[in-house]
Amino acid sequence: MSLTVNGQEAQMPDPPTLEHLLAILHLRRPYAVARNEELVQRSEYQQCNLMDGDRIEIVHPSAGG
Amino acid sequence: MQDTLRLYGYSFSSRILLGSARYESPMLLVEAINAAGPAMVTVALRRQIQGGLQAGQAFWEVLRATNRALLPNTAGCYTVKEAVNTALMAREVFETDLLKLEVIGDDQNLQPDPFALVEAATELVKQGFRVLPYCTDDFVLCRRLLDAGCEVLMPWAAPIGTGQGPRNPKALRELRDRLPDVPLIVDAGLGLPSHACQVMEWGFDGVLVNTAVSRSIEPVRMATAFANATRAGRLGYLAGPIPVQDLATASTPEIGKPFWGEASQSAAKVTA
Repeated sequence: MSLTVNGQEAQMPDPPTLEHLLAILHLRRPYAVARNEELVQRSEYQQCNLMDGDRIEIVHPSAGG
Repeated sequence: MQDTLRLYGYSFSSRILLGSARYESPMLLVEAINAAGPAMVTVALRRQIQGGLQAGQAFWEVLRATNRALLPNTAGCYTVKEAVNTALMAREVFETDLLKLEVIGDDQNLQPDPFALVEAATELVKQGFRVLPYCTDDFVLCRRLLDAGCEVLMPWAAPIGTGQGPRNPKALRELRDRLPDVPLIVDAGLGLPSHACQVMEWGFDGVLVNTAVSRSIEPVRMATAFANATRAGRLGYLAGPIPVQDLATASTPEIGKPFWGEASQSAAKVTA
């Protein structure tokens, strides 16, 4: 299946969950994830089945004014 | 005497809020925070950039170690949807419902979009956020934001990062007069410590500075300068300034003046 992760195309074996994807990416904490512009809460990662064409956005703390 | 800044039930002993952006290094940011002693430090959310200095783990670790209250922003959002989504993600990451709401309407002067701002604020208050909107000094906009449930407003002094200082003093002072019970924090456009001092003298409750500190030659020294200026302005406001008058009033007593009635008086009249 084909996903867009932070604007870049990524291939995933299906059927993956968001939790699988996050495990593969080895992200540092903390972060927040949106799927198709909707926040996915931490408690929902495991149940969140990804679909072909999903747009995943992952953000971290950053400097801001 | 205790002088506490109260924002949404939180109490702060400092009246300066400091932005965390555009410092040369995370360590310099921490030193500036220690120098300014801010009530809160603003932060943002961004995609992870490999090797990115400010987005990196070092940034987050050193910032967290300062134990300062954080105020996440929605910087760079141009639509209600973007701002609401960013806010939800910020709450997830920073575990606070405080939010500096920015919805920008123009990419040249980064002016808030008043219409989208009210819409986004309305939605976010419904979702349990404590919204501090970055707004203009327009009184009707400010009233609409209060109607939407905002309890704190953050009118600009001038466009972000310009360092111009208060561009429309009359509007800002009018806002202060018309909304005496609303915490008002001047956000954006300050360049000099005297700008911070000036708005504090006018009775504003606080200032938010970033670029003026982080892009100065010596950010740590400038952070100290802004903190002192903010305090000075606040004290001046609390102390109650004298009314401005057109004509001079001698401060030194007239009674007991030597040479009374001699040439000095008539000379003053001739030259006056």
